[in-house]
Amino acid sequence: MPQVRIIAKNFMDMVAALPAMKLDKLYDSSLICEAVLRSLPPLAKKYVLQMLFIDLPVSARTMEEWVLPDGSSKHKVAIDRLLQLRIFLEVIDRKRESSYRLNPIFQENLRKYLIHGGTLPREPMPSNVTVRLPTLEDLDAYAIEQWECFLLQLINSGQVERLTGFNPSMIKVFQRGLLSTRDNEPPKLTENGFQFLLMDTNAQLWYIIREYISSSEGHGVDPAELISFLLELSFHAPGKAYNMNTLADVQKSAISDLAALGLVKLQQGRKDNWFIPTKLATNLSMSLSDSSSRKEGFVVVETNFRLYAYSTSKLHCEILRLFARVEYQLPNLIVGAITKESLYNAFENGISGEQIIAFLQQNAHPRVAEKTPSVPENVTDQIRLWETDRNRVEMVASNLYDDFPSKEVFEAACDFGREIGGLLWEDTKKMCLIVRGESHQEMRDFLRRQK
Amino acid sequence: MASSVSSKLYSDDVSLVVVLLDVNPFFWAGVNANSGTNQPAAALSFSKFLSHVLPFVSSILLINPLNQVVVIAAGVKSCGYIYDSGGGSDGTSVSDLRAGFLRRLEEFVERDRQLCRDGERAAATTSSLLSGSLSLALCYIQRVFRSGILHPQPRILCLQGSPDGPDQYVAVMNAIFSAQRSVVPIDSCVVGIRHSAFLQQASHITGGIYLKPQQLDALFQYLSVVFAADLQSRSFLQLPKSAGVDFRASCFCHKKPIDRGYVCSVCLSIFCKTHKKCSTCGSDFKQASADSRSKSDSKRKTLEAS
Repeated sequence: MPQVRIIAKNFMDMVAALPAMKLDKLYDSSLICEAVLRSLPPLAKKYVLQMLFIDLPVSARTMEEWVLPDGSSKHKVAIDRLLQLRIFLEVIDRKRESSYRLNPIFQENLRKYLIHGGTLPREPMPSNVTVRLPTLEDLDAYAIEQWECFLLQLINSGQVERLTGFNPSMIKVFQRGLLSTRDNEPPKLTENGFQFLLMDTNAQLWYIIREYISSSEGHGVDPAELISFLLELSFHAPGKAYNMNTLADVQKSAISDLAALGLVKLQQGRKDNWFIPTKLATNLSMSLSDSSSRKEGFVVVETNFRLYAYSTSKLHCEILRLFARVEYQLPNLIVGAITKESLYNAFENGISGEQIIAFLQQNAHPRVAEKTPSVPENVTDQIRLWETDRNRVEMVASNLYDDFPSKEVFEAACDFGREIGGLLWEDTKKMCLIVRGESHQEMRDFLRRQK
Repeated sequence: MASSVSSKLYSDDVSLVVVLLDVNPFFWAGVNANSGTNQPAAALSFSKFLSHVLPFVSSILLINPLNQVVVIAAGVKSCGYIYDSGGGSDGTSVSDLRAGFLRRLEEFVERDRQLCRDGERAAATTSSLLSGSLSLALCYIQRVFRSGILHPQPRILCLQGSPDGPDQYVAVMNAIFSAQRSVVPIDSCVVGIRHSAFLQQASHITGGIYLKPQQLDALFQYLSVVFAADLQSRSFLQLPKSAGVDFRASCFCHKKPIDRGYVCSVCLSIFCKTHKKCSTCGSDFKQASADSRSKSDSKRKTLEAS
């Protein structure tokens, strides 16, 4: 599976990047403590529980003894993460040995949570005020539709029927990094953009939210406030109505954007307005590694390079169009073929063959997913072959040496080059050789010594 | 149905924890029935015990929203489900947990007392129904395996205080073996005075952790340090090792733990005395020896005759 570089900086890194003051302020809310705790690696979660009722700092050396030797790397990751998020505070004692203790605010809040229970950010509205709330299924459908609509708009497809309520300039911000904008050319999906489309919904959502937060930071909105609001939102019950009057101004302006993403559904009553969180919102505080939101696959690839996608989604069609020739679309089926031309198109956009193969494998229809390999071998091999076709020439930065005073010096130089593994080519007749660029310094030193 | 099973989501860090709670009044009330004196059997009052266990349950739910905790109470005559975080109706917030938990627990204890009163007054049985609660837990785990899209990592945590009931030996062993078969570790935390041979064996066989905390005031700390980690994390954590396991079996006739005994050669039932007939499978033990004796008798007779 290709490494998804685009989420290398994920949401919790963003929280960690907040200044210490803001971070401590975030931890004032027990809900946020909960969300942050849930995002930690399993070992770190356990450490927090273990330290919860310990008021004195525990020395780093003692902590190292909590794990077996095999786990020391995981231990280090966990501790680093905890320090980064200021959940653990480092205390250096007189003997200059470091020890850790829990952030007192965080500790206090979690203790309260465990013993007395958490408080909801706001109470749902009584059902006699909010008549005719959508059912959970309707709400899910609404959220998915809204999200797909947003994605389609994002990748600039011609298939968009209606626009989401998003400000076009905002969409431009999101497209930065996902689409390439070469002059005089319609914007095309970049490698990152394709990776983005391959991610699961939750990860995509956080990517967008991250961009959203950093762009509103430019408009003078405190990122800490937005983050805490979003995390709060994830603790609301999906399908329940919450009064808009309970929101602060910043939150009010954010909520319409969130509605455009499908995180909440806005409804108007006779007197009050309210918002209904969807599943997308309540899944926000799940850590990115949770694959529970993974959808069922839909693609069948046959050995004759034909591709059948059982999907009604226009987005899926757009994704397939990136690397396959879509031949016809039936109400619930997209039929296409993987051809050399369609793949070359994809390669030109910076999408790698491995990414395409990974996409086909991850989204394999349950019927073919049972088989191994889920995508026929001849197809995957051919995709790889066509990709290497384009890379017949390999560029290596190198240096050419000639004008050797004697055969002996030339041969010595050749031997030395071979020894250091930098020799690429030699011609004994003309007495010249080519050495990798990175070996140039060593080669030069060697030749100087020969003189 | 078959396809839904194959497309289950396996995730390493989602746990299904079934907690078996010992609510035996004989133990918690501190009346040691064997000696008849009012010597306290529990170093910890039941309410204190709950105040350690409840935060532990909520902390498991806290660390991963997909985790599921089921609490099963084991009484003297019955056992029953007290709490299920996946039940939906109760919600997962801590205050809901507490309210629902305590209400059902009260109902359960009342019901169990009723059963005790209805049945014959068997003062000798002061043990809790471990076998029944283990079976309930295993059944629940099997049900989760077969339904739903998530495939959590299951484990059972026994919080036992009352002494082992030797009469449950066979049932407990059967539960242990079926847990072993379905790869469900049984963790045990003994809050009573004596070690529990049943739980030592259960944890040993299923690869769980057996712990008898020294200081019961710090029960939550023990629970969170030892039993909160998911199975995946356990592989690189320093966890308590068992000091030794009491492997003694109980005889089938008097349900007493024995060091040495007689084993039926057909069904491997264990007895503390010789019997004429196996009470489990009905094999006749006498027959073989009687046969040999009659043969030798006839031999002797033939010898005398010649």
